Amino acid sequence: MSVLESLENYLLTEIAVGLGKKTLGPDEDLLELGIIDSLGLMKLISFMEEDFGIRIPDEEVIPENFQSLNCMAKLVELQVQN
Amino acid sequence: MDFSLTEDQVTFKKSAIEFAEKALNKGAKEREKNREFNQEGWEKCAEFGVQGLSMPEKYGGLGMDIMTCVVTMEALGYACRDSGLLFAINSHIWTCESPILKFGSEYQKDTYLPSLCNGSLKGGHAMTEADSGSDAFSMKCRAEKKGDRYVINGTKMFITNAPIADLLLVFAVTDPKKGFAGVSAFIVEKGFPGFSVGKPLELMGLKTSPIGEVVLQDCEVPEENLLGKEGAGGAIFNSEMEWERSCLFATHVGAMAKDLEDCIRHVNERQQFGKPIGKNQAVSHKIAEMHVRLELSRLALYKVAWLKSQGKRAPVESAIAKLFVSESYVQNCMEALQIHGAYGYSTEMDFEKNLRDAIAGKIYSGTSEIQKNIIASLLGL
Repeated sequence: MSVLESLENYLLTEIAVGLGKKTLGPDEDLLELGIIDSLGLMKLISFMEEDFGIRIPDEEVIPENFQSLNCMAKLVELQVQN
Repeated sequence: MDFSLTEDQVTFKKSAIEFAEKALNKGAKEREKNREFNQEGWEKCAEFGVQGLSMPEKYGGLGMDIMTCVVTMEALGYACRDSGLLFAINSHIWTCESPILKFGSEYQKDTYLPSLCNGSLKGGHAMTEADSGSDAFSMKCRAEKKGDRYVINGTKMFITNAPIADLLLVFAVTDPKKGFAGVSAFIVEKGFPGFSVGKPLELMGLKTSPIGEVVLQDCEVPEENLLGKEGAGGAIFNSEMEWERSCLFATHVGAMAKDLEDCIRHVNERQQFGKPIGKNQAVSHKIAEMHVRLELSRLALYKVAWLKSQGKRAPVESAIAKLFVSESYVQNCMEALQIHGAYGYSTEMDFEKNLRDAIAGKIYSGTSEIQKNIIASLLGL
């Protein structure tokens, strides 16, 4: 499973439960849609760190890194490189 | 996991206890009665290094690791009878100094950290509003970029240190469409145009800690005082809270240890019906339960400190620690008061004051209910 698919799968099954979403577009604005709230973000970060074996510094927890699946995938890629 | 303290930590803990006993307790009863902040105590703490405990030496701090910070706070909680002062200092450290160190630009760190470390500046943060407490990110306070500055409008409520603070980290919405991700943090000095502070609020406890309202009316903040990037407010706030929930609550563990010692002494000395009251199981079981709560509280906090010292996140663990310590402290205060009977209820002793102060711990830094929400949510609920 690609990073993008893995993130989408996690968001749909753990974060966006009950919102009636079956898919998420790679550039869909998840913050404006209210899919990720502050507690959801904490869960998401824990998932990303565990699943991809990365560490996301608090300084990187900013909207442009979590706005969409593509943004998150880029963040993962960057942290894997680091 | 290894929670054993190093020799240096044990020595520093002892010196913090000696310092607090000698320098911070004189006149504590009177200050509590008069709701008076202990400015002299603040300065003495700064001389000892408390305000700069966790800060790098280049800014005038002691550069201590988190376990040493927790142990030092435990020592101060044990020996200092002025919990309002400790509350003010912890807010200063964890909600102002630490986020500036972690998220600040070099300019911000050089400008503010040395004076925050030596205590000549006092800080805090301004998050809560009249209509947004637990739902903190639903704040109404807005910040709008205008040229090279932000203009902030809004009112903050129950802000620790507000009446004495020289600067506050003010959280405000910069992008209303993005919910919590549209919140940013600003370093606001008390002299900035449009910044004002109301009178200290009267609360049930923590009477020596000045807490008040902050009004931002077209408050102009230079763009270089934005902390982190726009939208980083949520990350800054969550990071602050993880630290505060471990280090601030270490003072409660210290206070619980002191109360337990006092209770054990009392139940051994106090004779009723021809024997020490501690010989009654109704009393000795209370003591045993107090000890269990104290030990488990300490372990919960040390686990958070250990995780953070390993560079790991501890959102669930810090929520567990905050919840358990704050609830345990209230329970232990109730038991200590009951064990001391009418003396415990009297204002001559500290037990009723401790209880009033302890209750606040179930509310600030996220209520007990919010901690349960965090724990449940991170368990997948």
